[in-house]
Order: sequence, then structure tokens, then C-alpha cells
Amino acid sequence: MKKITSYCRITDHQVILNGNKLNIAFSGDTGSSRLTEIYRYLDAGYAKFHKMDNLSKAGFLASEMVLRSLDYDLEIPDGSTSVVFANKSASLDDDKRFQETINPNNYYPSPAVFVYTLPNIVTGEVAIRNKILGETSFFILEDFDAKKMHIFIDWAFLSPGISRVLCGWTEYLDGHCDVLVMMVEKDSPEGMDFNTLNINQLY
Amino acid sequence: MEELILELKKQIIEALNLEDITPDDIDTNAPLFVEGLGLDSIDALELIVLMEKNYGIKLEDPGKSKEIFKSVATMAEYIQKHRTK
Repeated sequence: MKKITSYCRITDHQVILNGNKLNIAFSGDTGSSRLTEIYRYLDAGYAKFHKMDNLSKAGFLASEMVLRSLDYDLEIPDGSTSVVFANKSASLDDDKRFQETINPNNYYPSPAVFVYTLPNIVTGEVAIRNKILGETSFFILEDFDAKKMHIFIDWAFLSPGISRVLCGWTEYLDGHCDVLVMMVEKDSPEGMDFNTLNINQLY
Repeated sequence: MEELILELKKQIIEALNLEDITPDDIDTNAPLFVEGLGLDSIDALELIVLMEKNYGIKLEDPGKSKEIFKSVATMAEYIQKHRTK
């Protein structure tokens, strides 16, 4: 039986790690500056964070908290973990930012913004940060759908050597953050059962 | 020149999202890439956009980029000679 061994939920108003609301002193602003506040709270020491788009920042932060809670060693290359995320707006938040840089009256396309105009970049950022060598995938759904997510997270375990999957919902658009990242493990004696009911409850 | 160097450092910090870095933290003569600020290839492209957007300089010979982007000092020197705005 697969288990959810850790999870992190980030919304506009709060950050919850394994059922506990984190005591982060937020300023009034939401969106990008709030993600930076979470980053400072974590003291992650990863300068590349500031170059990421908001979707990648949100997925990075939730993943960081989940992996830390499991004492994950990010120095050791890990071929037994996969990353599988999903959302409904793909990379639209960054796509819009890029569109602003290609205004015909002010045409200076930004390479740094352009490189994030694909939603699966967030899975790559998380994999690079944590030396995760398993397969990474990103699915775009009409809305949060625990049943579909359960199916494709299950698929990830079919790859040889994969014993755990860092997975979940990473949605960010127009300053609004809606993230649930979980670690699902194949052979863990602890944790919640990995089923649609529990995924919905955590969300 | 000092004024241009300070202006350039501020523009680099903003364009490359170098959080927690101030103009004083950037050594004018230190390498921008690998060592020094540790910039990467995407940052290099952003610097090319910066040169065009802020100073009207179009870099048409990629071979020269390595020399121009060696440090803030070499960038400032090139800008001073070639700026159109």
C-alpha cells in the first residue's frame, strides 16, 4: 500500500506543513512578494529561486518543505524519486509576463522570462535543486481532480526503480497561489493511505 | 564613468533579479560569469537585451560578447564608446 508521508499546502493566506500552520509573518501583499517571504522564512539559500517564475517558486517552496520534513539529503543523486505535478493554468502567469516584453511599441523579449513559458519547468527546477534523477512529468487538467492525479501518480511508480513520487497540484495565476505537494512512498509503514479521499482532504 | 558604472550595476541587479545584492557588492573588475556574480547563459542574453534597451547598442558580432561582458568595467567602457542613447 502506498502512503502519503508528507505534504505541504500553500494558499494565498497560509502555509500548512503536515497539518501544522506555519507561523510566517506575512506583510499585506500576496503573490510574488508572499512567495519571497516564505523563501526567507525557510532560509533556503538558493539564489536561483529569485530568477524563477512564480509557478516554479511556488512548486519549489512546497517541495522544499516536504523534502526537509523527510530529512531528504539533497547532496546525494536520487534515482528512486520521480516528480509529477499538475495544474489548470499551465504557465499562463509567466506567458503573460513574456507577452508584456513583446509589445510592438516596446519590443524587448526577455530571455529570462521566456525560459519559464512552459509549465513543466517547475518539475525540472525541483529535480535540479534536489538531484532527483527519476522521470519528471507535468499534467494540465481542467480543475483539481484527485481521481486523475491518483491515476497518473500511480503510473510514475511503474518506472523501474521508482519507490517514491513527489507530486501534487501547483497552480499560480495572477497573484494567486494554490499548491498541494505530497510525497507518496511505495513501501513506507507510516503515513496516510494514498487514495483520492485523502488527496481531496489534504486539498 | 563612475556614474555609468553605478547606473549599470543597478540595472544589472534589476534585470537579473539579483536579490540581496547591492551595487557595492559588485566588484567592478571581477568576472561576471562563472566566478564573481556567477551568471549563466540566460543572464548573458538578458545583458544583451539590457544593452539594447537602455543604451541602444545592438551586439551584432557574438564573438565580441566574451570580451564585452568580462566585467562591469568592460561593459561600461563598451557602452561609453558605442551608446546611441
